[in-house]
Amino acid sequence: MSKSHRTRRSPSKGHAGFPAIKFAILFAVVIAVAAVVFLASTKSSNAQKKFKATRPFVVDQQNGQPRLPNQEEIDQVVSNLAELANRPEDLPSTPAANGGVTVDLGGGFGGVMLARPGSDGGFETKCVFSLEEGAEFLGLVEETSAE
Amino acid sequence: MRKTFTKLTLIVFALALVGLSAQTSFAGEALIIVVNINAPGVGFNDPTPAAPVGGNTGTTLGQQRLIAFQHAANIWGARLDSNVPIRIRAQFTPLGPGVLGSAGPAGVARDFPLAPFPLTWYHVALANKLAQIDLLPATDDINANFSSTFNFYLGLDNNHGTQPDLVTVLLHEFAHGLGFSQLANLGTGALFNGLPDHYNRHLFDTTLGLTWPQMTNAQRVLSATRFGRVVWDGAFVTAGVPSVLNFGIVEVRVTNPASIVGPVQFGTAAFGPTVASSIVSAPVVAALDAIEVGGNQIDGCSPLTNAGDVAGKIALIERGGICGFAVKARNATNAGAVAVIIYNQPANVNAAPPGMGDDGINGAFVTIPTISLRRLDGVDLLSQIPNGSAVRLGNNPTIRAGADELNRVRVFAPFPVAGGSSISHYDTVASRNVLMEPAINNDLTHKVKAPDDLTFELLRDVGWTFPDADGDGVANDEDCNPNSDTSATIIIAAIDTGVPNTLFPNGCTMSDLLKDLKSAAANHGDYVSAVAQLTNQWNADGLITGAQKGAIQSAAARNNGP
Repeated sequence: MSKSHRTRRSPSKGHAGFPAIKFAILFAVVIAVAAVVFLASTKSSNAQKKFKATRPFVVDQQNGQPRLPNQEEIDQVVSNLAELANRPEDLPSTPAANGGVTVDLGGGFGGVMLARPGSDGGFETKCVFSLEEGAEFLGLVEETSAE
Repeated sequence: MRKTFTKLTLIVFALALVGLSAQTSFAGEALIIVVNINAPGVGFNDPTPAAPVGGNTGTTLGQQRLIAFQHAANIWGARLDSNVPIRIRAQFTPLGPGVLGSAGPAGVARDFPLAPFPLTWYHVALANKLAQIDLLPATDDINANFSSTFNFYLGLDNNHGTQPDLVTVLLHEFAHGLGFSQLANLGTGALFNGLPDHYNRHLFDTTLGLTWPQMTNAQRVLSATRFGRVVWDGAFVTAGVPSVLNFGIVEVRVTNPASIVGPVQFGTAAFGPTVASSIVSAPVVAALDAIEVGGNQIDGCSPLTNAGDVAGKIALIERGGICGFAVKARNATNAGAVAVIIYNQPANVNAAPPGMGDDGINGAFVTIPTISLRRLDGVDLLSQIPNGSAVRLGNNPTIRAGADELNRVRVFAPFPVAGGSSISHYDTVASRNVLMEPAINNDLTHKVKAPDDLTFELLRDVGWTFPDADGDGVANDEDCNPNSDTSATIIIAAIDTGVPNTLFPNGCTMSDLLKDLKSAAANHGDYVSAVAQLTNQWNADGLITGAQKGAIQSAAARNNGP
């Protein structure tokens, strides 16, 4: 439909309809904000879990020795693992012009290569596809205390 | 000097070519473009000065990262063909300690033009190659995000010492992005958006006798942890196995009854003979003992009460009760068992087979090999005792490490399931080590195909082909003549000899070799003499008849032009 086909509202109609439009806009904004908050909280639910380290997997920049990660480092690892290995369900399919169907994986579904210091002075590596698997390899366990 | 081949070899090769021709698209090397999305001053653009290392001539950290990335991309590009450039959206960012990097497909597609199978998801780079058009032109094909804080070896020569080698890690992760991964949810068994993908179509469960798309969700969940019994059924990988994997694997294998035969995941003990040093093959008997307070009749914590049944057989004992592993193994030893299997009790139903420590007292009295099993496998053995449960443990020299009896490669299917690395990798028991095991082993090369590796073969099974300019079934970089004369008959100086122009396994045809003689000859006499020598050899090898030899030599004699 072209713009010229739109009905021009009279001023009186405009005044009469204003609260309804305002309400509709307000409603839409509330829904949008709620959706964003929901999606953000869902996406970061893994990242918001608190983990603690049980094995030293950080190579200290100063002395080259393995050490336990600090909380900031743990949070960074968990956040990145959760994002890189994210495997969301029910991603939307998009019909393609050529008859096919495509799905944008949104940056997830990747293999994530991890490394921890090995006993021989080198590194042990593992390619993981989930936060849980990565956390286990690095010796990160979920905090279960109420603190 | 070029090798000649037996007639049988040629016939086999010719037959193989018939099979290959349907999958070879004869395109050129794939162009893999590294799309640098780092901001100025960081990642690929990090200006920190760096000394050239291992053939990497970059003089800044950023340059060296980009050169290593492009080097890994070029290795894959040389092996794969595609009319559509493959775009890797790449960056180096801080990912936290221990996180080296990640790569995966940016998207998937199905039911596109020329799709080999309908209602099947394909990683988009592979889908583009098959469709011969860019199906997702607005996005790149592979996402790659690597750590800017991890100290990778950035050389190109694989001389990485104890440092993780960036090129090797990239080859591994790029392979996932190119198609070496599946999409089903291993926790629920659900297929991605309800449909199979190009990878899991080739996953075959040897216990169920089904491929993954043929299974229910529940069956897939169980299959994902069926150690040693999920294999890749693709023909190219299977054909490559003999040149890559070595005979001999230390294993525990159920040999009877037929419904449960196959390898099982096992844990080892810190006492008694090792599995590797033992060869035991015997029926399995449930060991019975007195019921102690806090124990039961099958925990082996007291002297066995059915020693007569156990003697000469493998004692099956449940984990737990009031004693440790070494006590159980000692009691089985005393009863005359030839080996002991300790399987997880109900409290550990979801645990892997444990490693079994000594208590410092009883282990010294154990003279038989002791292994642990997950509960499911132990219960299977127990329930099938009336049907003759039997187990063999020790080195099996008849099977290649990492494959089954039919040379089908095992995929990684440990119990409990490992998030996503299960199934989307080759099994860690593979020997030699291969690129697509879950871990990057230090002895890997930068080669991705047989006889050094099996990654390329798997990508071929899912639809990738190799650059092959002349369509002779030999990849350009391994072809003794990438642009062979593939005429049906040998034609010399416009004279059609009528002799079939045989293709040799190295990618040269008879015509190629005859032309090479012409180029190399100092004069016509030398040329005619060389043709006579070569055709005599072909005749002796049974490749041509005497009359055909004469036809070629006659044509060569008249070919006295430049």
